[in-house]
Parts: sequence; C-alpha cells; structure tokens
Amino acid sequence: MPPRLNILSFARSIPYRPKSQAQWHVQPTIRAAPSQSRAFSDPKDPPSTDRSTRIGSQPLPDVSEEAAKTAEIKGAQGPELEKGTPVGEVVKGDKAAQEKLPKIMQDALKSKMSASGPKGSRSYSTTTTPINSGSGVELGLVDFHLATSTPDVPGVKFGLPTLPIPRDANLKYRYDPVVDQVTNLLMRHGQLSVAQRNMSLILNHLRTAPVPTINPSRPLIPGAPPPSHLPLNPILYLTLAIDSVAPLLRIRSQKGAAGGGVALQIPVPLGQRQRRRTAVQWILAAATRRRHRGSGKGGFAQRIAEELISVVEGRSAVWERRHAVHKLGVAARANVVLPRKR
Amino acid sequence: MPSSTCLRRFSQLSLDNASYAPIASRNLLTTPQASCFSTSRARYANPTARKGMVAPPKRGTKTLNVKKGKSAPGRDTGKRPAPGERKAMRKRIVLSNINALEVRTLKDLDKANVLSKNNEGQVLGLPNEVVDALRAVEAFKTTQGWSLFRRPATLYRKETTEVAELIKQVEEAGEGQKKTIRRVLIGDRMSGKSTLLLQALMMAFMRDWVVVNLPDAKDIVIAHTEYAPLPNSNPTQYTQDAYTAALLSQISKANEAVLQNLPVITNPTLPIALPSKSNLKQLADIGAANPEASWPIFNALWAELTKPGRPPLILAIDNLSHIMRHSAYLSADVKPIHAFDLTLISHFISHLSGQTSLPNGGLVLAATTNSNSPSSPAMEFSLEVAEKKRYGGEVPRWNPYKHVDERVTSVLRDVEVLKVGGLSKEEARCLLEYYAASGMVRGRVDEGYVGEKWSLAGMGNCGELERVAIRMRV
Repeated sequence: MPPRLNILSFARSIPYRPKSQAQWHVQPTIRAAPSQSRAFSDPKDPPSTDRSTRIGSQPLPDVSEEAAKTAEIKGAQGPELEKGTPVGEVVKGDKAAQEKLPKIMQDALKSKMSASGPKGSRSYSTTTTPINSGSGVELGLVDFHLATSTPDVPGVKFGLPTLPIPRDANLKYRYDPVVDQVTNLLMRHGQLSVAQRNMSLILNHLRTAPVPTINPSRPLIPGAPPPSHLPLNPILYLTLAIDSVAPLLRIRSQKGAAGGGVALQIPVPLGQRQRRRTAVQWILAAATRRRHRGSGKGGFAQRIAEELISVVEGRSAVWERRHAVHKLGVAARANVVLPRKR
Repeated sequence: MPSSTCLRRFSQLSLDNASYAPIASRNLLTTPQASCFSTSRARYANPTARKGMVAPPKRGTKTLNVKKGKSAPGRDTGKRPAPGERKAMRKRIVLSNINALEVRTLKDLDKANVLSKNNEGQVLGLPNEVVDALRAVEAFKTTQGWSLFRRPATLYRKETTEVAELIKQVEEAGEGQKKTIRRVLIGDRMSGKSTLLLQALMMAFMRDWVVVNLPDAKDIVIAHTEYAPLPNSNPTQYTQDAYTAALLSQISKANEAVLQNLPVITNPTLPIALPSKSNLKQLADIGAANPEASWPIFNALWAELTKPGRPPLILAIDNLSHIMRHSAYLSADVKPIHAFDLTLISHFISHLSGQTSLPNGGLVLAATTNSNSPSSPAMEFSLEVAEKKRYGGEVPRWNPYKHVDERVTSVLRDVEVLKVGGLSKEEARCLLEYYAASGMVRGRVDEGYVGEKWSLAGMGNCGELERVAIRMRV
C-alpha cells in the first residue's frame, strides 16, 4: 500500500534539545516599556517652555524642538517632540559635545564602548536563576517578551497584525463552520458543552475508524480526496459526509394552488447552510434508530459517527431519502415559478 | 328518608356519564334523558363512531402524537445488547490506531536504557511484551489517550526520572541494606499520576522485578465481590476470595517470565496439594483456579517472594482514597467494615506504612486521584503535611471539628509524597511534536503554538494538554 500522506513531512526529530542556560537572559521583574502615550495629567508643554511674553527672555528650545521648528519651516516632518530627545544619538561622534554630557551618561557611553561585563572580580553570578525556566515565574503569560526594538509604526505597541486576519482569530468563529453548525444541531436542552464533548467524541471516532471503502454507485461530491486521507482529517471527513448527502432542494407544498384541495408541490432550492442542516437532521434521525451497543456517555456520539461512516460508504438510508426528495423535485419541476422574462 | 334532590341526582346517573362533556353534568338542562341503569344507549350507539375518536384530522395539518409504546415516533427501536456487553464496551482498552502515522524516529525502551537519565524529555516506545504485561495488570486506563496512536509510547518527564532514580537506588543497594521505598503520588486532576504509576510498573517489568498491582482500589471496597471472615483472626479480618484469585491470575500472567524461573523452596501447608518441584507460577495458578484457597496461597506466594535471593518487588495501588475509609461491606453485627480490615488491603497498608519491609528491596507506590475520590479528611491532611514537609511551606493544622480516622493517620504518618506537577515547556513541546508526527496535530508546532497550548492546559497539565491539542479541538 502506498503511504497515505507524505509521511516525510511529518517525521521530525523527537529528541529534545535542552535549552542552554546561557540563552536565558535576566528579565526585570517590572517590565518597563517605553511609554508611548502621555497621561492626561501631564503638563501640556515640556518643562523648557516659559510663558514670559518677551521673546528675548524665553529660554532657548532644546535640540529636538529646534529641529522640529526648522522642519516645520521647511515643510518637512521633524522629530516627534513627545518622545523626548535622543541625546545619545545627537552627540554620537561629536567628541566636544560628549565631554559636556552629565557624568552618568559619559559612564554609560564608556561602558558601551569597552563592551565589557561588570568590573567586579566575582567569578560567580549574584542574580537568581529560575529553577525551571518559564513555569512559575511567568505565571502563564506566554511569550511575553519586551519589545527590544522600537516598532516602526508609531503608536502600536506590539506591531501590527499580518493581514488578512485569519477567520478563526475571532473568539466567536474559532471552530470550523461545519463543526460549529453540527455542534449546535447536536445540542439538546441548551447544553452546549455536552454537545461539544459529543462532537469531539465523533471526530475521535472518525479518526480511529478504519479507512472507508467508497461505494461507486453512491458517489461523493466531486473533488473529494481519496478515502485514505479522511481518517487523519476528521473535519474533512465530517464535511464530506454531510455535503455528499445534503439535498439540493426541498419541496414546498402550496396549499390550494393545484385546485381541488390538493397542495401544489413546488421545489425550492436550498442554500449551503440549509442543505447541511437538512442532511445533519437526517443523519441524526438515522443515528437515533441505530442499535445502542455500549453504555455511558459516549453512546450517542458513537452512533452518529457510525452513521457518518456508513454515509460515506454508501450504506446509509439517508441516501434513499435524498434520492426521494430529488425525484419528487424532478417530478414537480413544472411547478417551479420562474420570474417572468421581459 | 333521602331528600328529593338526592333521588333526582341518583336517577340521572348514567353508566357512561364520564363520556359527557364536563359542562353537561353541571347543567341539568342539557343532560340527555336516559333511563337509569339502562344499557340501551351504548348498545344502539353508532358502531362506526368509536369511543374517544373525533373527526380525522384535516388534511395537511399536523397533529400532536404523544403515544407511548411501539408506535411512538422517534423511539430507539434498536435491539438491546446482551448482558455484560455494554460494560465490556465501556471498559475496552484500545492501544493502537491504525490510521495514525508511524513515528519513524521513535526509539524503543529496553532493559539497559530504561533507567537512564538521558531519557528525560523524550517520547519513547514501549516494547510489546511489556505492553502485554501492563495490560495484564490493568495498568492502562480508558481515560488515557492510548487509542489515538499507532502504538504505546510514553514521555519521560521529570517525575519519571525521579521514579527511575528510586528504582536504581533499590537495585544498587548492597546485600543486607536492601531498601523499601514508599511513595504516594499526589497532584492535580489529570496531571498524570496514574500514568506515572504505569511508567513505574513498566520500569519494574523491564528490570525483571515482580509486579503486584491493585489496579483500582474502588473495586476492592465497593462490595461487588464475596467476602468471608478470616478464621482465627482477632480483630476479625475478612478475605475476598474471588478478588484474590483474580489478583493471583493477574500476577501469574504478568510476571510469567520471572515466576517460571523461581522454584518453590519453602514447604507451605496449603489446602490444595502442590506438585513437587513446582515453580511460583504454578503456585499462583493453583490459587487463581481455586478461589476458596486463594488467600493462603497468596500468603505462601508472598512468603516465597520475600525469601533471600528473590527479585525486588513493586507493590502499587491506584485510587488510594477509597481504602482510607469504611468499605461497603458489613460485619455480622451490621456495622461497616473498615477497609483496613480486608486482608488484601491490610497487607498493602502494612507495606505502605513501613510496618513491614521488603527483604529483597522494592517500591511501594500509591496514587491518589481527584476525579473519583470519596472524601477522607485524615488522608488529605496527612498527605498535605507530607507535601509541605517535602516541598516546603507552612504545615497545616488539623481542623478539630472534623472527624479524625486514627487508623489512617497512623498509616500515613511518615509516608513520603511525590508531587506530579505540570510539564515544562520543553516537555510539552516534545509531546506536541510527537502528536504532530503521529498525524494527530495538523499544522506547525512552533514556539507560539506550544506556548498557547501549554497555557491553555493550565501551565502544562498533561491531561489538559492532550485535551486541548488533540481531543476537544481537532
């Protein structure tokens, strides 16, 4: 038998490579992100502005403000004033200006240039290392790392999401639409979590059941994958079973339209969701009539799963039902009221 | 003399009065004039219009059908299963899924590497003979996810390495200093306590130990098997012949290879004659075949196994809290029997409490459970104290308003615990990669995915991880 799926793509090395301690970098307990927004209580203007009326007595603006004003005059966009002045960048490469810096900044510059560790003679570290990195310390905050580089889009802290946003990124649409619909149809007395458990049992049963054999007289929808692909993709399996037996139309009985007290049978086309709904209800009705073999909670789910498999294998009575509806629809096609052509 | 009204009322009584509309009986004028005690009305009634039948429903209208019985709508008409079939279905253990992909990189465990420290953080396969033995001692549970994968494999987590260390300590102890190590496995629900017990049994099987496993303590105490007082016991103890026989057959089947090579060296006095030059497997089989002699034979087997020169023993139980209380059995004076008065349990408890030690060395393991555990305040308190002693923290004080079971506290006084916590992210990643390689997880297993699942699983709870990754959300 040829391999059902490309096994090589799945085969990936299992052995675990322990993360070396050197990779772990000490993170501050309080993660101080550079503040991108100003609180409402902040003074409107930076402290350097003075409100004196005489121009000559006003203090000189700082480097950034000056640059901003110059840019405004020139019609270009200057540096953003709310971020503060990047003094380090301004004095970069300017020896004379560097000498005038405060001592603390000079020290910082020197240490950066020499790029050496702390000066002490201790051979051991005084910082704590977590016992098992990432379990207790982070308290479930996953992948919460401080943004090391400033984001290129101003005003966005964690970067913009990549577009288009996937459909299941929304909490309310996280499940596959078919799974969602079937779960809701499985639900009794509003017990959604019971229905969800049943749904997961159904999908697990589909995963563990043997590969179905397709009956050629009951073809599945065109474009269906080979049956060997189905068990490892149970959602596809479910969708395929439902879509294959879904009727294309329903028969609407128009009372009194045929005359003589007989209802007129009018075929009405169904939308995709309606087709699936009809198919699921047929399958559920057929599953209810199946023999209940086990006991406990999973019985109904198992019967539904067996019914789905028998649908794919063409053994289910649901196919007869679909056939009957289609036959009636063909017989009554003369009753279809088409919009009048002009 | 009755009044006239009363007489008139009596004369209007009719046999089929109930068939009139209720308003009729209240309104005297509309009551049909029928002679009293007459059957003519019923006799000459229209035979076609049957009683209770109104006009047939109008065509095209739906009527409410509330019939019960055979013709009721939507009834489950399937044939009912045979007795015992349902339970067999429910308790079935499936260890293989032929649809799952075979993991090429999966290495097998063997006798040499099973206790190795290098296994930590790897998923390793179980060899077939060990799987059979574990199945024989009912170590696999229906709630575990074995049925989704091609063949049984298990993750060596941090706690597994700890258990391997314990086994190594027992094996490496010199002659005369044999160790009996006792541990109670505690941890959150679905954190992998039963699986860790299974891993311990697996290691013991691979290291040729003798394994005695009580798969579920609940089965022993719920009074589903027969019991009888043990003669000449004071205070009265109770034997469970059927259960002991089943246990002996499990021991014989699971430890076949080891027991076959151990001859009977003592001369036990048994109710059933033992063939000469028999081995321990034969001894156990005789006990399994004769339930009435099962307890003396179990004792004889135990005496044989604790003779010098025999292999180490592992004694394990799951669902510990069920035996830390009264059992469902009743004594002759209709008092509940404490679980410690059942011979099998008292045998286990004497080893768990350290009262009896294993002369050839061994491991006594007990796993608690949080899914189906009756409350046993004494046990919970003792284990909490033991946990705080081992892992640090404030030792709790006994709540004086709770009933204390002295027998339980005395047993668990100096027992040590082994806490089964959550997986680390590396272990979780390894497990998820195994899921992906088996074809159960579709999609890329990267850092973000692992972190998401690890967090959703309550910081790496093993069972929850399986649930969020491959069970509930496919």
